[in-house]
Amino acid sequence: MSRRLSLRWGAKHVETEVSFRNGRVTLTRDGRTVDAAYRRDAGRVMITLGAETRRAVTAKDSRGLWVSSRGRTWLLVPEGREGMTRGAADAPDEIRAPMTGTVVSVTAAAGSHAKEGELLLTIEAMKMEFKLTAPEDGEVLEVACAEGDRVELGQLLVRLKPAAPAGSAA
Amino acid sequence: MTAARTFRKVLVANRAEIAVRVCRTLREMGIASVAVYSEADRGALHVRSADEAVCIGAPAPADSYLNVAAILEAARATGAEAIHPGYGFLSQSAAFARACGKAGVVFVGPSPASMEILGDKASSRRAARKAGVPTIPGVEGVASAEVAQKEAKVIGYPVLLKAVGGGGGRGMRRVDSPDELAAAFESARREAAAAFGDDRLFLEKLVHPARHVEIQILGDGKDAIAIGERECSLQRRYQKILEESPCTALSEATRSAMESAAVALAREARYAGAGTVEFLLGPDGAFYFLEVNTRLQVEHPVTEMRSGLDLVRAQIEVAAGGALPKKPALRGHAIEARLNAEDPYQGYLPQTGRVLALAWPTGDGVRVDAGIRADQIVHAHYDSLLAKVIAHGRDREEARRKLLAALEELALLGVMTNQAFLLELLDDHSFRTGETFTHTLESREWPGPATVSDEALIAAAVALHAPAGAAQDGRDDDDHFSPWLRLGTWGRA
Repeated sequence: MSRRLSLRWGAKHVETEVSFRNGRVTLTRDGRTVDAAYRRDAGRVMITLGAETRRAVTAKDSRGLWVSSRGRTWLLVPEGREGMTRGAADAPDEIRAPMTGTVVSVTAAAGSHAKEGELLLTIEAMKMEFKLTAPEDGEVLEVACAEGDRVELGQLLVRLKPAAPAGSAA
Repeated sequence: MTAARTFRKVLVANRAEIAVRVCRTLREMGIASVAVYSEADRGALHVRSADEAVCIGAPAPADSYLNVAAILEAARATGAEAIHPGYGFLSQSAAFARACGKAGVVFVGPSPASMEILGDKASSRRAARKAGVPTIPGVEGVASAEVAQKEAKVIGYPVLLKAVGGGGGRGMRRVDSPDELAAAFESARREAAAAFGDDRLFLEKLVHPARHVEIQILGDGKDAIAIGERECSLQRRYQKILEESPCTALSEATRSAMESAAVALAREARYAGAGTVEFLLGPDGAFYFLEVNTRLQVEHPVTEMRSGLDLVRAQIEVAAGGALPKKPALRGHAIEARLNAEDPYQGYLPQTGRVLALAWPTGDGVRVDAGIRADQIVHAHYDSLLAKVIAHGRDREEARRKLLAALEELALLGVMTNQAFLLELLDDHSFRTGETFTHTLESREWPGPATVSDEALIAAAVALHAPAGAAQDGRDDDDHFSPWLRLGTWGRA
């Protein structure tokens, strides 16, 4: 019996079909089928593809499933049957803190217009500065932080209302 | 080596991999070790590496690892006779070295006077010129963006703005044209003030394309030896990421001239302990003095792997009044990779999280200096360096292959690191051919893995959906309804 496995890796979606039978796994992706033997061993998965056996390590936390294999680490987030539904086109963009740190400067102002790539604010973490820019043209609806604030990973910093795309009927 | 005396107990005023590494040598020498830690580092590896540990304050560095009073009190309370400062934090603070002296504790490092001469970029350039070491054209103290404009026009673009107070790329900016200068000046000044408590800046001509080549020195306050070079050209935001020795572009004559210059400077400053004299090597073979790091360097294992010399041991012996070791012979090739908690494919964004699983590589000629353990939380408070992996081979290609194999063996889950990027870099044409320059990383796109590998997807499928039974080890597997699936995308750490 095969089942669908939908995973998000960063901004990308990976769709596969998997089935298990007698210690073997069959994986179909992008029209290709890969058949491998697998064995679990104390948190590791030993995968034999042809003549080669590769070792992978997996672990879960609140962010998703972590997989390490041959020196590469993947954070994979399983998606529901309906997948990730993106909000309507005119829903505000939420700029969130990409890491825990301190806000060193805020250039965005509520009510102002920001162009794509325009600097909104600068965060410092691990003694390095990081610039957060507008992902698209839009109006700054809210600035939810101030210079000197300590912000946590994922905390809302700026809400942006994307400008209506040219030719949109909205 | 015949040390006149040695210490019974040494306090290590640092954290993470360097504190762990210093404790290892102390143990080998039969010296008791004292770790210090901030409230955020209670469960950190370095705390467990020492014989005893003292909490010195709140997570912010200013309250703990830069807190001179708390560190000296920890030394007094534990009866430590000496303090090893590691790198970063207080390691280049002459004021701290002086405070140690006043408190009757030996500072493992140069004298405050040497540090003042060499630690400050402006005065170290004066000392370099006095010792006959070539320097880059530049201006030693730029009061304002307006002054910077005027001076940059004289020197000619591109120019470099640097913090007078410290290294590591903080407070450093490349400026290509006059209209970028004012913003870069303010930003560099702010970063310098935050990192070093000193917002003075320095302006100089940019040598291009340049290699970063540095000489390891070891002094005893009177004499000094040079122990070969390290090339550290591959840098991101002026922070080194791969380091190696020997440098592929250095002729024997240039190496010898560089070593002589470094020793002359060390003698001029009556340098004691381990230090590094950094140079820029231009395309024409000319080299220019950059700065001196008056401390042990992050990449010191590269030199240790080639020389067989334990630099921490040498530092402690010199601090205890012992003799300088003989200049060691260097053999083979060594390469170090820095494993950082950062995402190189997203602007080197710092990464945090709890280490869920950890497996370090092993093998002949492979060394791992790690600062984390499984289940430890990686915080945003501190530097992103998690561990260093160093490989030694008979030649460069053997060392490179060993390091590649070691990095493929390394597994770290729970915190995103630059591991895939290190593999990409080590296998890149530029590195394979030794065409490494200070601008190499920034001059190109580094795409990273395009998609998830088959084996990673199979492993994910097995972890998420494999039926219980013959092919598993009997561990519980209630994946479908485990809480993390319902928590949403951002972890509430």
